[in-house]
Amino acid sequence: MIQSIFLLFSAIGLMAALGTVLSRNLVRAALWLVAFFFIIAVQFVLLEAEFLAAIQVLVYIGAVAILLLFGIMLTRNIQGDETTSASLNTKLIFGALGLALFAVLATAIVSHKGTPERPAWSKIQGRPDDEAGRDGVLTRKDTINNMAKTVGDEMMTRFVIPFEIAGLLLTVALVGAVALARQVGADEPIDRVRKAGFTRDDAPANGSPEGVAEAPGAVASPSH
Amino acid sequence: MTDWACATLLFAQEIAPREIPWLAWFLWLLIGFFGIFPGVVAYMVWAERKVAARFQDRIGPNRVGPLGLLQPIADALKLITKEDIVPDAADPIVHLLAPVIILVSSFLVLAVIPFGVGLAPVNLPSGLLYLIAVSSFSALGVFLAGWSSRNKYALLGGMRAVAQLVSYEVPQVLSTIPVILFTGSLSLVSMVDRQYEFGWFVFSPPGFLAFVVMTIASIAEVNRTPFDLPEAESEIIAGYHTEYSGMRFGLFFLAEYLSVFAVSCLGTVLFLGGGLLPFPLNRLAEWMGTGDWPAIVVNIGMVSVFSIKVLGYVFLMFWVRVTLPRMRVDRMMNFAWKYLVPLSIGNIVIAAVWFEMVLRDPIKRMAQVEITGDEYIPPGIGVGLKGWIVTGALVIALFLTVLRVNRGSHASKIKEITESPIPLPSEAPALFARAR
Repeated sequence: MIQSIFLLFSAIGLMAALGTVLSRNLVRAALWLVAFFFIIAVQFVLLEAEFLAAIQVLVYIGAVAILLLFGIMLTRNIQGDETTSASLNTKLIFGALGLALFAVLATAIVSHKGTPERPAWSKIQGRPDDEAGRDGVLTRKDTINNMAKTVGDEMMTRFVIPFEIAGLLLTVALVGAVALARQVGADEPIDRVRKAGFTRDDAPANGSPEGVAEAPGAVASPSH
Repeated sequence: MTDWACATLLFAQEIAPREIPWLAWFLWLLIGFFGIFPGVVAYMVWAERKVAARFQDRIGPNRVGPLGLLQPIADALKLITKEDIVPDAADPIVHLLAPVIILVSSFLVLAVIPFGVGLAPVNLPSGLLYLIAVSSFSALGVFLAGWSSRNKYALLGGMRAVAQLVSYEVPQVLSTIPVILFTGSLSLVSMVDRQYEFGWFVFSPPGFLAFVVMTIASIAEVNRTPFDLPEAESEIIAGYHTEYSGMRFGLFFLAEYLSVFAVSCLGTVLFLGGGLLPFPLNRLAEWMGTGDWPAIVVNIGMVSVFSIKVLGYVFLMFWVRVTLPRMRVDRMMNFAWKYLVPLSIGNIVIAAVWFEMVLRDPIKRMAQVEITGDEYIPPGIGVGLKGWIVTGALVIALFLTVLRVNRGSHASKIKEITESPIPLPSEAPALFARAR
């Protein structure tokens, strides 16, 4: 039962991935990508990791996809039409690169040996039994119920260095974004008036168009 | 997975028999998600029109049925029978998909709300996270609605709306962190449970601040006045749903009111104790243990209390809507990032202080009591009082600091501007020339 559900969703996920790559319209490609992210969340649920599924949806669909769409909208043709055309050579090169990455990852996963405490995934036949929790090892039930705590513990002990490096990377990106976006000067329209050095004393006494034209610095007033 | 959820005490008891879960599911889907929730939404529209009319010294809907009670049905019939116009240039699939995504996201939020004892459709161990995740779908739906219409106003309105939704999601999520801290769990059922043991979370200074921040952010998340820029008529010809008509527009409408209902339920569960009364009812759990009928009676009472709280929350939203004017778009974004986000981040620290001073010791002792079986002695009133004084002072200091930092940098400028005369419109050309 669970196998067939897994296969069904994997097939849908592969279709979504193909759609992402083959779609001509950039926004549609992003939509296919959203569908693919959702299928990943479904796979997490099938693995009894609903915490990770929720995180997946929250981070990838709620944040990454939205930012991606914003990026497309702000930098490309506004409706995102037919913007993914590339020459055959480019397609071939990137296709080869993708296959090479797949080969590297597949080799690494298949040749996983494992340690005495944690056997290789290919040695594990089924899901860990609920009652068979060893000392110091959380049972399956505890892990599912307190997955937030389990993930936090693992991040702070076993995976602390990758976690910190990722945090550093994000901080650098954040600081860079702030540095790019920060403008000297205020954002209120009235401040621009002040910044321009305009005071009542500079203004012509009667405020008529003629007076404006005579005012110092009036290069091209609309009345002329 | 449901029966593994970390419920304790009152909520550990099940009402629906375990043997026929499909019946419970069937009932939830049929009665709750197809019957009660859409009905609630339909009559919320009627209630809003009546309430707004009272505020504005009018009568409101009164033609269709007694007191206008059949008005929602007439509106629904009108929307369904209207012609469904899809622009020629629109992307047909995405145009159809967008309102559906928004509606589905509003419905999915309701799936983890505990309405009573054992009356949560699903009790996920990470329910709050699930809730935040599914509610973030609505931003995607809004964006797709704006994009697929092939209308520049719809697209601009959609981007504005998404910017607002993303911004206000941050304080909304941050203000739920104190509740997670107090509970030590992400399950909404455990949150109600903890409030059964220690009183409503709103009755503590950090809890109160988080409640206020969350209410404001929720009003912005569901696009209601004073934050209704995404869909107000005067802002970019109504924004992302410009090109929608008939029942497709009706779906946006339905989703909005459903979201209002959902955030009211969420606020009630997180801060107002769900279906609990303000004072602890320690006898309730013992009495409930004696059979099915007491459980049903208790649940009827709890659902009633829950409904009253949700109605009050919804009424608060109506009240805000008819009282406050709409905000300008840049002020609205400033308000989210410069006021709400610092307040909610600082509030997390204050919540930790409150947890250390008031909650940590009783929670530990309560866990010991469950093991040893001794009688649980609640902490004296002095502990709570001390916590109130310290965290109350901290909350006030935080509030004043945020005000000071935001206003202080502008204070001299504001003074200068308000005291010097404003340039006349006829002086504008000189102004532009100088600015150039």
